[in-house]
Amino acid sequence: MNSFKRDKKEEEDGGGNPFQNMEKTTVLQEARTFNDTPVNPRKCAHILTKILYLINQGEQLGTTEATEAFFAMTKLFQSRDVILRRLVYLGIKELSPIAEDVIIVTSSLTKDMTGKEDLYRAAAIRALCTITDGAMLQAIERYMKQAIVDRSPAVSSAALVSSLHLTSISGDIARRWANEAQEALNSDNVMVQYHALGVLYQARKTDKHAVTKLVSKLTRTSMTSPYAACMLIRMACKLLEEEDGNGELLDFVASCLRHKSEMVVYEAAHALVNMGKSSTRELAPAISVLQLFCGSLKPALRFAAVRTLNKVAMSHPAAVTACNLDLENLIADPNRSIATLAITTLLKTGAESSVDRLMKQIATFVSEISDEFKVVVVQAIRALCQKFPRKHAVLMNFLSAMLRDEGGLEYKAAIADTIIAVMEGNSEAKEAGLAHLCEFIEDCEHISLAVRILHLLGQEGPTSKQPSRYIRFIYNRVILECASVRAAAVTALARFAAACPPLLPNILVLLSRCQLDSDDEVRDRAAYYCAILQQQFDPTTLSLVQPPLLSIPSLERALNNYVSSPMEEPFDISQIPPAQTVEEPTQPEILATAKQQQSRLSREETFMEKLAQVPQLALVMSKSPLFKSSPVVELTESETEYNVKCVKHSFSNHLVLQFDCLNTLSDQLLEDVRVAIEPPEGYRVVYEIPCLRLAYNEPGTTYTVLEFPEDVHASIATIPTTLRFMARDCDPTTGVPDAEQGYRDEYMLEDLEVTLADQMRGVGKQGVDFNAAWDAGATRGFSELEETFVLGASVTTLEGAVQSLVGFLGLEAVERSHRVATDAVGHTLLLGGIFRGGKEVLARARLALADSQVTMQLSVRSSDPDVAELVTSSVG
Amino acid sequence: MGLFDRLANIFGLRKKEVNVLVVGLNNSGKSTVINHFKREEERCIDIVPTVGFNVEKFAFKNVHFTAFDMSGHDRYRSLWEHCYKDCQGIIFLIDSSDKLRLVVAKEELDMLLQHPDIIGRKIPILFLANKMDLLDSLTTVKLVAGLGLERILDKPWHIRATNAVNGEGLQPAIEWLTDQIRDIYINKR
Repeated sequence: MNSFKRDKKEEEDGGGNPFQNMEKTTVLQEARTFNDTPVNPRKCAHILTKILYLINQGEQLGTTEATEAFFAMTKLFQSRDVILRRLVYLGIKELSPIAEDVIIVTSSLTKDMTGKEDLYRAAAIRALCTITDGAMLQAIERYMKQAIVDRSPAVSSAALVSSLHLTSISGDIARRWANEAQEALNSDNVMVQYHALGVLYQARKTDKHAVTKLVSKLTRTSMTSPYAACMLIRMACKLLEEEDGNGELLDFVASCLRHKSEMVVYEAAHALVNMGKSSTRELAPAISVLQLFCGSLKPALRFAAVRTLNKVAMSHPAAVTACNLDLENLIADPNRSIATLAITTLLKTGAESSVDRLMKQIATFVSEISDEFKVVVVQAIRALCQKFPRKHAVLMNFLSAMLRDEGGLEYKAAIADTIIAVMEGNSEAKEAGLAHLCEFIEDCEHISLAVRILHLLGQEGPTSKQPSRYIRFIYNRVILECASVRAAAVTALARFAAACPPLLPNILVLLSRCQLDSDDEVRDRAAYYCAILQQQFDPTTLSLVQPPLLSIPSLERALNNYVSSPMEEPFDISQIPPAQTVEEPTQPEILATAKQQQSRLSREETFMEKLAQVPQLALVMSKSPLFKSSPVVELTESETEYNVKCVKHSFSNHLVLQFDCLNTLSDQLLEDVRVAIEPPEGYRVVYEIPCLRLAYNEPGTTYTVLEFPEDVHASIATIPTTLRFMARDCDPTTGVPDAEQGYRDEYMLEDLEVTLADQMRGVGKQGVDFNAAWDAGATRGFSELEETFVLGASVTTLEGAVQSLVGFLGLEAVERSHRVATDAVGHTLLLGGIFRGGKEVLARARLALADSQVTMQLSVRSSDPDVAELVTSSVG
Repeated sequence: MGLFDRLANIFGLRKKEVNVLVVGLNNSGKSTVINHFKREEERCIDIVPTVGFNVEKFAFKNVHFTAFDMSGHDRYRSLWEHCYKDCQGIIFLIDSSDKLRLVVAKEELDMLLQHPDIIGRKIPILFLANKMDLLDSLTTVKLVAGLGLERILDKPWHIRATNAVNGEGLQPAIEWLTDQIRDIYINKR
């Protein structure tokens, strides 16, 4: 009675969830009811629902528990109750990954899927596909083929989708059932047609010619299903991306703009604007379709259109200007997401004069939109700042106001990023930006962001007009924040002290106070900086306070090597490759997509790991760390029988050529694969490491180790290469080679160039003072060479000249000198780097533009006269 | 049990439902036998090797049978025991022409008889010596000796030569099983 009362009270509390407070063990206990005869369908359905609810709530079932429940559930097949049976299918799908021996229900399911009850058939197919493993596939294949061509669309769809799922078990399922899928493609049902197309594509996915054939055949027939038409457009786009100049496909996509289904029209428009290669004129029809959608009654269509326009506005602002009027109307849209996108699109396309008005309008509703769209607004402002540098004051104020609002880490980080980007691009904005950021960290709950801003203050603050004003902000952090922020603040203080001697005594007082901190890291840092800064001021301490950005794993490995060596020579830090810095995109548009995740290891480090696993290379690796790895060079056309790509790894005295080979012939097995090279003058082949076995479609790698010539001038060379191997015929399906002996064969590859850039790399010191280093070079006995060139006809702009020069020489631009001011006719590019073997190179290129021809005066200073000569001679 | 159920039971109106388990080595004819018990219009035309199990229903003399037609493939024989607990009768199929695997059948039978869910129960077992039409098939007498059936003392059992393809011998066999089940389970209640 007592419990009854309580139940009643709970009911009064507002119904609530009937499945609340369930115990897994009790429910599994109840599942024993399944074994009763006769089966009580209502009771069992209720218990089964409970089990499904538990699993979907994330409750973990053990293998034994799941198996027990599963076998009890199989008893329910004796009931003819439709609801219970369909619940059983769901149960099978949920339990099949956990329970053992699930194939026991195969026969029962095949009976249901071929039976008369239509309500069972589709669901039974889907359940069957989850329990099937590779061994069972043969047994059900016949039924699946029948089901694909079944009259009932639900059954046919279920079978088609299931066969897509089954491809994860057996790769060639789709190909074996392609005939049935082809037949299903002619179905009247929209879904069946769509799913059949999916299966057909899956079957041909790896074979580009087959896809081309399929698409060109289907584009001629008109698809009745809008879903299938959308898919066809996507397939066509993928083909267009891979090969250009296929006018037929482009015409097809364009013709879809006149389709009767809105979905297809949108898909086609979206595809056209995203093609990347289209010109403004080609975009016009797609844009006008999107413009029509902007006035649609359906919010989904308006949203889709404005979102797409927003993206196009980044690459083709001119094309979108036609829609400005429609977009203005959408600013007042009741749907805030649409309004935000409309406004940010206008910001991208609009003129400088309208910026103020639009910003005011955004401010009215910025608090009402979600973080995700606030980020979109921030990105639009960032693009705007780059477009109209003069407007930075208005935009900065707006950003700082946004910083003060509530928001998540991602949103705040986006704002901070934007402020930083604006500061970098525009020196006028620097002071204001730093002030805003200082204000922000006063009240910032995101530790990672605070640390980042403190780091930035330490870097940029000392060079500002009045460095002392930042000290207070930074020291406040030391008093108020958690340990990691305090540690960052201590480092920032030390940087000020190192860069601004007048502040040194005051900061030393602050740092000595920090030595009483409760956290180890903070105390350690404070003590370290105190000790360094108290010594006589001297430019060398700067690098101890602001260490160059070296890659940590390489440094660790090099130090390990050094410790195990006799340690007679001092440790050479220039051997260590710099950490990779993310290149800011140089275009004025910032892409809205998420920034590429920076990998933990640089390219060199990942290659180093890979090379270290080849025992034969240990000899080379032990002498010096990997100096530089070149980008991948293709030595074959991408569609030939054998595919060879090369990566050149430079060491101090050795060049390791890594050839990644791929065999695309399914009826051949290659053995003892090597890339034979004719060593050019001065080079010496140390040894080759062949790839013992190269099976169809499995990548293999062979290495060739060369010794660089003594004379650095001879190191730039062209190497003819040939692929040599022992070919054996094999069975295309199993890959087992025929018994007979193979035959030797060879295959001509393209020539491989060893360039200057392969042997040169940047130092990774962004903050390096070029003039000081340049002058110091003269006193340190660097040899200097100077020459004047007229650059070739292909280079017509200063930016182009800078880019090609940096790429060609392999040096790194310092002091951000790779950014050319717009409309400038002259520019000075400052370059720094290291030649293999630790030879420093500095270069200054004075560029002048006249009648779209670039003249360059190049001065090179290097610790090795040969290297300096090599640099100048390789430009000419 | 509800009042209505009890009343129905007294008057003998209640449907009598029993579970029977159909086991035996693969290719001995289990699914074919069950197919024959079903009504004419429900029968399948072609029988394929069972994977896992099938549940089939048929009625005989007002007793409704739910037959668990287990797969006889050696991979799935371990699954038989999941159904031992709640069955009221066992039909054990033997391919009487397969002399070679008679020892395998004996082994499976012994394992079945010694299973904890079977050992103490008085459960009727019907042996069907199938494929009697084949020339080299063993007689029931030889099978009794070969399988050691005379050692089964605590359970009623019966062996019958059958031909599942044309149904010969099945009728009297299922009649025996029905009577046994009626005696042991239904009349006792």
